[in-house]
Parts: sequence; structure tokens; C-alpha cells
Amino acid sequence: MDSLLQYLERFSEVLAVSRSTHVSRWDPATVRRALEWARYLRHIHRRFGRHVSIRTALERRLQNQWRQVGGSGPASVPGLTNFRALERCDLLLSQRLLENPALGDAALHSLLQQLFPGPGVPDAEEETLQGSLALLARSRSAVHMLRLNGYGENSVLPEDSVIKTQAELLLQRVQEASRAEAEGPSRFLSSLGERLPHNNFLQVIATALLLPSSSPQPPKEELELGSPKTPGEASQELVSWLLRKPDIMATFCRHLPAGLLTSVAGRHPDLFQVYLGLLTNWGRHLHYDLQNGVWVGADSQDVPWEELYGRFQSLCRAPSPLKDEVLSALESCKAQDGDFQVPGLSIWTDLLLALGSGA
Amino acid sequence: MAQDAVDLPSDYQFWMRKLSLWGQASTLETQQDTCRHLPQFQDFLRQMYEALKEMDSCTVIERFPTIGQLLAKTCWNPFILAYDESQKILIWCLCCLINKEPQNSGESKLNSWTRGLLSHILSSFRFDMKEVGLFTQCLGYAPADYYPGLLKNMVLSLVSELRENHLNGFNTQRRMAPERIRSLSQVCIPLVTLPDFKPLVEALLTCHGCELQEMLWPEFFEAVNEAFLLKKISLSKSAVICLWLRHLPSLEKAMLHLFEKLISSERNFMRSIECFMKDSLLPEAACHPAIFRMVDEMFRSALLETDGAPEVLATIQVFTWCFADALEKQNTQLKFTLKTYFPYASPSLVMVLLQHPKDIPQGLWHQPLTHISEMLREQVEDQTHGSSRGPFESWFVFVHFGGWADIAAEQLLMSEAEPPEALLWLLAFSYSPRDGSQERAQTMAEGKAVLSRLLKLPRSPTLSARDVHAAAGEQGGDPRLASCSWLIRHLTLNFLLWAPGGHAIAREVIALVSLPFSSILVLFHIPPKGPASEERVPGCCPDRGGWAARWTAGTDPRACPVAHLPVTEEKEGSVKGSLLPEPIVKARSPVSSCTLLPVQYTTVFFLMKRNKT
Repeated sequence: MDSLLQYLERFSEVLAVSRSTHVSRWDPATVRRALEWARYLRHIHRRFGRHVSIRTALERRLQNQWRQVGGSGPASVPGLTNFRALERCDLLLSQRLLENPALGDAALHSLLQQLFPGPGVPDAEEETLQGSLALLARSRSAVHMLRLNGYGENSVLPEDSVIKTQAELLLQRVQEASRAEAEGPSRFLSSLGERLPHNNFLQVIATALLLPSSSPQPPKEELELGSPKTPGEASQELVSWLLRKPDIMATFCRHLPAGLLTSVAGRHPDLFQVYLGLLTNWGRHLHYDLQNGVWVGADSQDVPWEELYGRFQSLCRAPSPLKDEVLSALESCKAQDGDFQVPGLSIWTDLLLALGSGA
Repeated sequence: MAQDAVDLPSDYQFWMRKLSLWGQASTLETQQDTCRHLPQFQDFLRQMYEALKEMDSCTVIERFPTIGQLLAKTCWNPFILAYDESQKILIWCLCCLINKEPQNSGESKLNSWTRGLLSHILSSFRFDMKEVGLFTQCLGYAPADYYPGLLKNMVLSLVSELRENHLNGFNTQRRMAPERIRSLSQVCIPLVTLPDFKPLVEALLTCHGCELQEMLWPEFFEAVNEAFLLKKISLSKSAVICLWLRHLPSLEKAMLHLFEKLISSERNFMRSIECFMKDSLLPEAACHPAIFRMVDEMFRSALLETDGAPEVLATIQVFTWCFADALEKQNTQLKFTLKTYFPYASPSLVMVLLQHPKDIPQGLWHQPLTHISEMLREQVEDQTHGSSRGPFESWFVFVHFGGWADIAAEQLLMSEAEPPEALLWLLAFSYSPRDGSQERAQTMAEGKAVLSRLLKLPRSPTLSARDVHAAAGEQGGDPRLASCSWLIRHLTLNFLLWAPGGHAIAREVIALVSLPFSSILVLFHIPPKGPASEERVPGCCPDRGGWAARWTAGTDPRACPVAHLPVTEEKEGSVKGSLLPEPIVKARSPVSSCTLLPVQYTTVFFLMKRNKT
């Protein structure tokens, strides 16, 4: 086991080097050896995919390593990041080498001969790698073509597809992190939040919270049936992380669109309670401007009436339990304020009136 | 190889011009033209690779100074990269350009240029996809990890948009514009075989929209149909039905593909025909009456073209079994009346024919047989009513259920009592639909005589081939009508099948009476030994200068298929003893507007095969 772990570490180093200028010193023999290692690790993935204890040990080691390297900044180059990556480590290595201009001509020649031996290869392993590289090229072309031709005039990537893909990858990573690290994915998520644009990050989290529990797992991951965590639990990890981070939760609820938040609230009762608490809190900050007959905030940070109303309205359009709870929360706030029936005295009375007439 | 080397330079120039025209295939026209040429271009690339791999990179540049340009243009055409194996072959070609030890700056430059192209194919098209890039990089994923997922999600998003389109119908606000759907179908042409695209292909096939004109490109249908027939993709049954309903040439191709498979298979027993048939999905798709009618029309043409080849008859019969099975399985209640499938037959006749003999106790088989015979006879002989479409239509319906003729023969041989007239008539009719009542009476009398001679033969293992041959032979008098010989062969075969000791001498008897292929089908559980059993029967082989020639000569038969059907008078004497009822071919169905081209090919295949044996 120890030697296997060492092996893993060494190969991770090889992967890291494969993107650096050091490869200029590689000769054909080095390239061949590196690819052999990669093949061996793919074999390990196949062999121990179902073996929970070995798998967990390997996963833990990889996660530690990744944290050490990956924590140093957004430009850092990931080596092997998780057990799943072992399945494609030969693909990863060959892509990095192909993209690296520092690789010498002789080494490149040898690399190409091994990667693309041509038609009618007797070796199944080589054929697989050649096939997956070609398939990857084909898929890239397909994405490109759909982007340019499938979406009409504006030819931009459909945001939902991109965000959904990111959300799937995020859940996968959360799942791995929670499996490998004692404190769960918390640290990893926090560092991710610091490195990514805020809005994008929050939107991806919201989408991840909405994914059906079977979605992030591609079918071939059946190998991992023995894994201790399911994707449902991964989104639960996300929920608990958000609950532990009131600041991020507040930004989450403040900046995402009302409809998206309503959907998330519908799926996760714990988040719904916090969201409702935040909304009522925001409402308390508004006061009635007698002159203009509108509810306004004390400073620019406050949530404007229109937005508050929009969020409540969206929640009230959701299926029953959500709508009922929102209305009863508003009713109780209204009662606390003195149960006024006339407008302009309590924001809750006015919200309920507006929602009643708007519904 | 030598041939390739000769053709390569001229092809090279042609493709170089094409690639320059296409550019990055960014306009509809260039995309269309690229799509049309994808298979040929892939062949060219393959030839190119075969030539390049024999040379070192210096020789390559000497022989093809502009090869770098050609390959670079190819690399920038996403349609080519997306098609089948083109990207792989292109990579192989590029690998041939890499020099292991470049000697001068020119060679080094070529190396780095080629590396740039390789890297473009394998890892670019990420231009403005930074939004994906940063996120995945922070998560520690490689492009190989997110591209498949991104593609899958893009496809699913388009699929749900198309579905919504389908549901919204006339709600123009939320509908996908027809031009967009059309352009989407174009994008799919090179990609139909990519597994991730299956949902999109199916959604496009099943999404109709409300335009009267077809929105999807014909090339899209062709690509899907081709991939489906070659089993490169699997499609849901409903998608296949939509494909064949929306694009008639695809249905014809599917029929042709089935015929080709039947022809190229070594021996066609009923069971193997059944396997091919079920595999083709045609019987199931035929539960949709429009598809049934078109398939049936193609069978009719094949039958006419081959002068009623027994192989075609057997195929029609198997098709009908499988179709009846599929109809039964689909739902207990018929969505369409039988009249929609068999418009020229009386529904009560079809009802009786559709019954599976196995569902009726053996002792009661004579009842449906008598019923069938009486109904057919009434239709055939009662020519005074304008409603009848003539004996050919009645016969054509009956041959769909040819199993009943075998049962009639079996029934005749099982009983020693006076053979029932109705059964004799049915058998005589199945072999001689064009005969007048006098000729048919003669056939029946002859059949009856042979039957009684056969039944008198000792039912013991001492049965000899010569005795059977003698009993089946002519007993002086006039020479037999062709139809009569067929009837007698059928009876003889059935006798051999059921009589004790019959199997042992079957081969010998077959050699003596030179039985045709179709009759051998009846004996499918007797393993054949040699080619003797497939001997040709003169009456069954169409003359090549006859119908088939007339089909292809002169004006395009597709313009008006019926006008080109052979006329009775011309036929007289040219194909003596043909199985086919010539005077009746005027019969015409309203679905005959389908192009008959593939069926002509079928005919040629059949002729080739028959002449070979």
C-alpha cells in the first residue's frame, strides 16, 4: 500500500512537470516511461474502484496533495486531484505534453507514435487512448458547432448548460472532499468562493442545490457504488456549509434572482427558514415615506420595496407548503406590529395587501 | 495502392479548392456543401494517410508542397472534425509531418506548425469559453472532464426546447423558429453517430412544428437512416417511424437494405428471414398504415419485377406474420381498421386470414380454409360487380398469408376421404390466379388424380423415390399447365414431409422433380447437402429482356409507375408458364406515387442471385 501511495505521489509530480519547461530534458524513453506509469494507474483505478478502504486511502492522499498545491492560487496547476482522475490520467498526461511547446522534437515524435499508432492496432490499451483522444476532439467540435449554429443569431453558449455543467462538477468535487477530509468540504468551498467571481459561484451553488440527485453521476460511475456518500448527501453538504456561513448565505439570498431562490427554498427547508428570516429582517429596515406614499430604506444597502415584494410574490406562487408558511409568517409579523388593516402603518400589512391584490 | 497514387494529385487539387471554398463552414451554403462531401472527403483523407505513412516528412513536402495548407484548412472546419473518424485520420496525417530530428530551420518550422495544428484539434475550440475554464481549473478538472458533461447538457437543453416547441404548437412566442430547427438538423448531420446526440436526433425526428413544408434537411434524414441501418446508432421505435414517414427515400432504403441482407445471406430459411425481418423494425413500423401501404407497395413491385419470385413470396409471407404479431402486441384494440391496411380486400376475408392456424384446433382447420376458399372464389369469379379489383388483388392479399396454402395441402394429404373441392380450388388458385375457370378445373382434376395416387402409396419405410416420382408424374394425355406442375410439386413435398420414410427419400425425389427454392423452404428442417436442391425452374425465371428491361428503359418510370407496368398482350409467350397473373397487373394502389428506383435494384439483385445458382 505504501509503495502504491508513493507511486501516486511520484506520478502526480510527473503530471505537474508535464506542463513545465522541464520537459525539454525529456527523451523518448522518458515519455514512454511516463505513459507506462499512467497506464498502470489506470489499471489501479479499474482494479480498486470497488475497494472502499484502498480507494478512500488513495483519495485522502490525493486530496491532501491537491490542497497543498491548489491552495496556492488560481494559476496553480493541478496534478492528480482525485481517484476518478486516475481513470483518465494517461489522457491528462498526453494532452499536457502535446500542448507543451518545450517538449523536444524527438520526444514529441515518440509521444505521437505511442498515442496515434494508426489503424488496426493490436493493443487494446493503445486503441482506447487513441479513441478517447479522437472522441474528445469530436466532442469539442460538437460543442463548438452547437454554440455557433444551434442557438440562433446571438451564438453564445447557453448559460444554463454551462452553469449546470459547473454545478455537476462542483457536486462531484464536494462529494470527494467530504469523503476524504475529516472536516468535510468546508475549507475547499471557502477557498473556491474567494477565487471565483461571486455571482458565478453563487449561481453554480444554487443550480447544484437543484440538481436531481442522480444527475451528477455519469452512468459509468457504477464502479463507485460502494462509496460512502451519495450525491444527495453532497448537496446536503453544500446546505450545511451555507448555513454555517451567514455572510455568504445573505449574499446568496440578496443577489440571486427571486425565481431561483424560490426553487432552492422549495427543495431545502433549512435554507427556506433562513431565507424567510432574512426577508423579514430586510423588511424591518424599511420605513414609510409619508410624502411619497412608499416604503423606503434608510440607506442604499437596504433592500428596496419592489425587490422585497418580488421575492415574497415569487414564494407565494410556489406550491402550497411554501406559500402557506410565508403567508403565516407575514401574518404573525403583522400581528406583532399591531394588526393594522390600513396601509402605510406596517410594512407587513402593506405586503399582505399587495400580495392579496397581486395574486 | 498504385491506383490511389495516380488519382491522388487530381483529387488533391479538387479537395484543396473545396476546402478553400468552405473556410470554417460558417455560412449555411458552405455547411451544406461540406455535409454533402463528408464521406468522400474522409475517404480522401484515408488515401492521403496511406500515401503519407510510406514517406518521411521531407519526401512528403517534396511531393505535396502545400500539404500543410490542406491539413490546416481541414483542421479549421468543425464539420469535418466532427464527422465519424475524420479527426482521427487527420491526426494520423499530421503525425506523418513531424520530423524526429529537424536538420534546418525550415524543418523546425514545419514541426512547430504541425504541433500547433495538433494542439488545435485536441485541445482548442475553447476560444471564448473562459467562463468554463476558470471554474473547472479552480476545481482541478481537465478539459477532458468537462467537455462531455457540457455537450450532454447543451444537447439536453436543446431537446427540452424542442419538446416545448412541440407542446406549444401555435404559441408563436415560445416556438423555436423553423430556420433554427433546420440549421440544427444540419449541425447534426456529421454528429448523428455521436452517442451524446441521440436525444437530439430523436427530438428532431419527432418534432413536427406546424409548417406544411419539411423543416429538416433531407441529408439529415439520410445520415440518420444510414447510421440506423448500419447499426451505428439505436433509435426508439417512434423515432424510426417518424423518420420513415417524413422521408420516403429512407423507408425505401430500409426495404432495400432488408432485401440486400436476404440476398447476401447464405441460405434463407423461413426462420432466418424472420430474424432479418424483425431486426429491420419494418413490421413494427408497418403498424402505422401509411408505412404498411408503402412497404406493401414495394413488395408488390418486387413481386411484379421478379415474376413472382418464390423468395419474394416467402419474404412477404414472413413480413405479414411479423406484422400481425406486432399489431397484436401493440394493443388489444386496433387503432385502425383492417381496411386501412388492405384496402382492396374484404375485411371479413382478412379477418379469417389473420387468424393464426395454431389458435384453431387442428381438427377444425378445414372450416377457415373452406371459408377463405369460398370468399376468394366468389370475388374472383364474380367479375360483374364493379367493386372487385380483379383476381390479382385477391391473390396478392392471399399470398401475404401463404401459410394457409400449406395447411390446405396438408389437410388434403391427411384425409383419405374424397378431397374437398374448396381446398383443391384454393391450392390451384394460389398457383394460377390468372387461369380461367376451365384451366383451373383441369388443374384441380389433375391435382385430385395425383393426390389419390400419392395416398395409395404404401405408408411405410419401404417407400421408394421412384414410386413417389411416378405417382406425381404425368399419366399420358396433354402436357401439364405450369401452374398444375407447381400444385403437384407442392402436394408431393407435403407428402414427403408427413409420410413415414418421406424424409429419407426427400433429397432423391427433389433431384428427380427439380423442385424450386421456395418449396425447399417447406422442408427447412431437412438439412440440404448440395446445390441440386436449388436448381432453377424455368417457369420461375424472368427473361432479362422482358419486364426488368422495360422498367429501366425509356422514360423514367417514377414519373408514372403504372404506365410502365407490362401489358398483357406483349407478355404472351415471352415468359411461358410464369407464376404471375399478367392480365391483372393493371391493379393500382393510390400509394403508388413512391419512387420505385430501389425496387429496380432489388430486382437486379434477385436476377443476379438466381443466375448464380
